[in-house]
Amino acid sequence: MCSTEFATLGRAQARALGCADLPITVVPHPFGLNARAKVRALAEICVQDIEKLVCAAAESGVAHTVVSEHTGLTVQVDDSAEAVNLLFCERQWTDGLPIVPPTAERVDRMMKFTPRAPDDVVGIVAPGFGAATVRRIAINAVMAGCHPEYLPVLIAAVEAVTAPEFNLQAIQVTTNPAAVWLIVNGPVARRLGMNAGVNCLGQGNWANATLGRALRLVMQNIGRAFPGEMDRATQGHPGKYMFCCAENEADSPWEPLHVERGFRAEQSAVTVVGAEGAINMNTHSKSAEEIVRVVAETMPRPPSNDYTLGGDPWVVFCPEHAQILRAAGLSKVDVKRQLWEQSKMVAGRMAAVDLQRTRIARLAELGAVMPDTMLPISPSPDRIGILVAGGPGTHSIYIPSFADTSRATTREVIWAG
Amino acid sequence: MSAIIHVFEPTAPYGRKEMAACRALDGLRGKVVGFIDNAKPNFNHMVDDLAELLVSRYGVKKTVKCTKRSPGIPAPEDILADVARQCDLVITGSGD
Repeated sequence: MCSTEFATLGRAQARALGCADLPITVVPHPFGLNARAKVRALAEICVQDIEKLVCAAAESGVAHTVVSEHTGLTVQVDDSAEAVNLLFCERQWTDGLPIVPPTAERVDRMMKFTPRAPDDVVGIVAPGFGAATVRRIAINAVMAGCHPEYLPVLIAAVEAVTAPEFNLQAIQVTTNPAAVWLIVNGPVARRLGMNAGVNCLGQGNWANATLGRALRLVMQNIGRAFPGEMDRATQGHPGKYMFCCAENEADSPWEPLHVERGFRAEQSAVTVVGAEGAINMNTHSKSAEEIVRVVAETMPRPPSNDYTLGGDPWVVFCPEHAQILRAAGLSKVDVKRQLWEQSKMVAGRMAAVDLQRTRIARLAELGAVMPDTMLPISPSPDRIGILVAGGPGTHSIYIPSFADTSRATTREVIWAG
Repeated sequence: MSAIIHVFEPTAPYGRKEMAACRALDGLRGKVVGFIDNAKPNFNHMVDDLAELLVSRYGVKKTVKCTKRSPGIPAPEDILADVARQCDLVITGSGD
């Protein structure tokens, strides 16, 4: 059963799962706003549809979804930037920006930077469940403008986003403004000249820009999350073009993110996060206690996925704030604990229907949630993510998460040779 | 006239494996119908109403109701296995 605005998603999802003729009954959108009596009236109609649909489905046992694991189809096109971009635009294969033509020569050159075979399947990309082979990843990386040596980073990112705990399915099809934030740690970030400092989440660095863009193209093209079809974001956010940076390990007073997550400092790793848009926290305070307080007070918002579902929110501390916190003796664990304690929100601030969603979603974690319950932003302090990134300035940023439907995931970057 | 080049398609085929088509039921009488509530507003009411109508008007023998904790999380494997074992038909929802 789908609301009208989601029937396209439902049909595409059924097809992706190999059951293209799955019966779907459709109710007017927005269904959730209907009064109780209207729901009953719709049920009276739907039950008739259901009886007709399930008693008239296709003949038993007929397999009809044929998956051809082709190794890379090619298309012919005039050798001009205009013709190639017109073709890719018409077929909805771009993010709306011009692409570099993925010729065999360029794709082959890129694949030399990974020890993996071209037809190795790195992951299955929801919601279309397309197989992300090394070749297909390289094709999208070429399109995005990646230099060949970037490929191992992108392969690790695809491994991470296709891990079950990341729940890419939800991120790809949601109405929420959820993007995938790609964080790079270790020697690879320096080797590729990635930006971890001034404007690291902005424009201007080739590796940051093209790696973030390439991951989006992989998710859109291999995962078939085309905007308006299976990608149902109400607005989306600019991070869906690219959302990628390195950690500023040189200026961080704490262990790097990938070390915190079980890797050695000399290893390289990527971490992916289901992330909403960033919120600026500009404080000139030199007091660790004050910095923690104002950051914690930024986090509570009544219509927040983090508080409704129990989230994995992130704080990106600028080096200046991080150093003040460390000078006061605070470790990352200490900061997470204090933020968790000080960012609790009284449940009664939520809209009634959202409070009811919270009661269902967090029942096992919190028991009965009442209007005076103090809701923690996440199930435990360790679920708050901390990164040190950016250049000089007094700006840290809060990045709300896609909540507990997606867990941040880290994978090692493996080089050829 | 400009030259022709070959470029790779960047997509992958739909689907991860071949699966059987839906089986038609020979009617609803005596059948077991499952519901997986996606936890979106109002779908619990729709589930209650459909369950009552299917039993009272179409002779459905029994209904089985499960609710996901939140819409973005897949139904747990044990719940999926349970409804697959018990039910002739399963109904779930997508959208707002």
